Amino acid sequence: MKPELSVVGKRLPDISGVEKVSGAVRFISDISLPGMLIGKVLHSPYAHAGISQIDTSEAEKLRGVKAVITYKDSPQKQFTGTLMNLQCVEGIEAFGVYDRLVLEDKVRYVGDAVAAVAAIDERTAEEAIGLIKVKYEPLPAVFDEMEAMKNDAPKIHGRVQKRQADGFPGEAIVEKNIAVHVAHKPIGDVEQGFRDADYIIEESAYTSKQRQSPLETFHCIAIFDAIGKLTLWTQTQLPYLTRRMIAYIFDMPEGMIRVRNEYTGGAFGLGLAVSREPICILLAKKTGRPVKLIYTRPEDFVDRPTRSCVGPYTIKMGVKKDGTITAVERKVIANSGAYVECSALSGLIATSVANPLYRRDSYKAEIDAVYTNKLSCGAMRGFGNPEETFIREQVMDEAAEKIGMDPLEFRLKNLCQIGDPGTFGPEFPLTSIAMADCIKAGAEKIGWKEKRGKKQQGTRRRGVGVSCMAHNSGAYPAHAEISNAIIKFNEDASVTLTVFPASIGTLAFGTLAQIAAEELGLSYEDVHVVWGDTDATAFEIGSHASRTTYIIGNTVQRAAAEAKKKLLKRAATKLGVSPEELDIRNKKIFVKSKPEKIISAAEITKEGLYTRGDVEQITGTCSFRPSTSPPPYQAVFTEVEVDTETGEVEVVKMVVVNDSGISINPMVVEGQLEGGAAQGLGYALWEHPVMDNRTGEVLTTDFDTYKIASTLDIPEMELILIEQPEPTGPFGAKGVGEPGCVNQAASVANAIYDAVGIRILELPMTPEKVLKELKQNQNASK
Amino acid sequence: MKKELATFIVNGEQYEEAITPNMTLLELLRERLGITGTKQGCTGSGNCGACTVLVDGNPVLSCLTLAATVRGQNITTIEGLAKDNVLDPVQKAFIDYGAIQCGFCTPGMVLSARALLNRNPNPTKAEIKEALAGNLCRCTGYVKIVDAVLAAAKNSGKGG
Repeated sequence: MKPELSVVGKRLPDISGVEKVSGAVRFISDISLPGMLIGKVLHSPYAHAGISQIDTSEAEKLRGVKAVITYKDSPQKQFTGTLMNLQCVEGIEAFGVYDRLVLEDKVRYVGDAVAAVAAIDERTAEEAIGLIKVKYEPLPAVFDEMEAMKNDAPKIHGRVQKRQADGFPGEAIVEKNIAVHVAHKPIGDVEQGFRDADYIIEESAYTSKQRQSPLETFHCIAIFDAIGKLTLWTQTQLPYLTRRMIAYIFDMPEGMIRVRNEYTGGAFGLGLAVSREPICILLAKKTGRPVKLIYTRPEDFVDRPTRSCVGPYTIKMGVKKDGTITAVERKVIANSGAYVECSALSGLIATSVANPLYRRDSYKAEIDAVYTNKLSCGAMRGFGNPEETFIREQVMDEAAEKIGMDPLEFRLKNLCQIGDPGTFGPEFPLTSIAMADCIKAGAEKIGWKEKRGKKQQGTRRRGVGVSCMAHNSGAYPAHAEISNAIIKFNEDASVTLTVFPASIGTLAFGTLAQIAAEELGLSYEDVHVVWGDTDATAFEIGSHASRTTYIIGNTVQRAAAEAKKKLLKRAATKLGVSPEELDIRNKKIFVKSKPEKIISAAEITKEGLYTRGDVEQITGTCSFRPSTSPPPYQAVFTEVEVDTETGEVEVVKMVVVNDSGISINPMVVEGQLEGGAAQGLGYALWEHPVMDNRTGEVLTTDFDTYKIASTLDIPEMELILIEQPEPTGPFGAKGVGEPGCVNQAASVANAIYDAVGIRILELPMTPEKVLKELKQNQNASK
Repeated sequence: MKKELATFIVNGEQYEEAITPNMTLLELLRERLGITGTKQGCTGSGNCGACTVLVDGNPVLSCLTLAATVRGQNITTIEGLAKDNVLDPVQKAFIDYGAIQCGFCTPGMVLSARALLNRNPNPTKAEIKEALAGNLCRCTGYVKIVDAVLAAAKNSGKGG
């Protein structure tokens, strides 16, 4: 029998809780260095224009201004902000397009960077920005993806560099603004699948350009030391890939760049990109002083990449009367905005995430990423999954209705099972799936049988809906996945754990400390975590794709096991037994057959450092690459009330049933799901980025116009954690970060249909859209 | 712009600072005094609540408050809430109930909650939600924050 776990599975407080609640934690926005200058960026007022002249003389003359930079100061190497393009090994193609310069004599969206200033304080820098005179040559702009693909559409890019599998860009010419066209390898015969079907359902949806909206806006600091080594503080989620991209842009050796992280005030995907860090580096280089580049909230909303897959997302599904899914075809036309960033990549993930969810006889998908003069699409939590799920789960409901089957029964019938192909094919079979239990538990909790399909009268009508999803635990094998962990014992038998996940609020340090403590027989408080510096840690991909607990967790567990082995070996010599006879609990090493024979771990670790004999710093290290990416699963049930007079949708209750394997810390898992749900509800109903369609100007530039959830917007929420152990996970755990926000939009849409019989296929589902559909529905039934 | 010498009392300490009339309390705290626990999440528009501090026990948005208007008043920032290294029950409950993720909204959230409990020691869930509606959090979904404030109210009642 396995011993009971003493640290894993416990609701332990955040490792940095006391610091965070006392105002003691340091964010990059809090850092002030001696001699530090403040950097500000001049943004384009035009959606598409050439720059024929920039006069910086007035700005330079302003007292306190130390540098002004323009395209004339920019390196001429095209790059991409999307760091996942570097998360590759031989055989992996990331479909990235290197299509931007640090600063260029052309702007491609309202908000694009034109020039930048470094000055002694923020007010002076802002004043100087206003003194830069730019002569723009406006060009025709295009915002609609279908218009952009026409022959006579404005040409947004000429030559770009397309990423090749060998890791280096090769030149390409963009035709019809199509940046990337990519298709999945088909499975089975899709044409035959549609012929075999009794019904074919086809729907196109338009999702929303949601903003990640972390509370801390973009900040970074760059400083060069006397030998020319660069230190860059950034809010990145991918520290070593940031270092490599910076090295690439500036032709520097990686070792001459030190990337540092502090606590970050949220990221939700924004940290997957090199954003305006290169501008900050240029300013630091030119002034020879530390520069902190600061974005205000409006700058964050007009010049940082958004959620992806906006544009028609079409799913065509063939289904037999018995509920068999014979064929699924997907076509995504992604409005990339001005630079490709994550558009192609998130389209690829979006069209893959249902692979380990529902069985189907045949499948194909293709994605076009199209340039327009909008703000680019980057990474946001879920990375294509909320977009895909919004349309797929509505199509699933429509299919169920066509064949006269209950939506839950239809889903249960088609669920994948253990041993079925995983997200990336049969070489990566599923090793755990608790989806059926999720559906059953959620149905019970929401009262599905009693509430579903009840015809109602009056102006406030209720309905219930469901949405199911699968995600991933890391990006393997679509991307290279590598993590490192180092553990060293201190004299008191506590350990220092060196890792580098991002510090973005997912409380990863505590989770990893719990894993280390459990493996080492220590308490949670005995694990001290070091992170945040590429010069002090080992190589790490970082935190994205719900990888941290699963991949870094696995790495930490293995490093801990090695350290434990070395500790027990040294103790065994001292006790005159073999290491296999020993174990450790509560910092005490004991002989398993004679538990009274005990030695304190501290005696061994201290003796290893202070001895006339063999000195040994007891350590454990691990370089880890996973061999699969087990999907977490989730069902969300919602009950809504639709006001047929105003079109308002109120979510009365939401039940989230989640399978992320064993929870290392249930309180942290719940926090991820609750926070995700708030973002998912915002995506569904009220987060509404508005752009002036004539000029391309973003009008929602602060939280008064771009609404994120407040305390008053959260409905009654119930969480159920189904804990089926994942055999390949650390202590049975899978990923949990992203699933939180995936299901809400589809679940609410399906509940609206149950309440009032209309399908909303455009996000967010605002009262205007609901009213419009209600009117059309009334007219149609007259 | 003309500068004027002014006296401020922050977390019980007295400061003499030369200020301009347009300096906000947020700028004074963060940039002049180096008390950075108070955060800025919007653009001095009062939309996010991250810059909330207490002035004579009442919550104010320091980004919308001119420093000149709070001369001589008792200003409490998150750094001044714990007394003799003992956390306020609200702070303790935030840790115990998992009400903190990235921690950026936490200082403002905790201070708004403290102000609520000062004027209403036993709030209902609805009253807590109402009182914290101006403090945005992008991480937590607020469930654990509301639970933490409820728990803090209970513990404060016991004299904790």
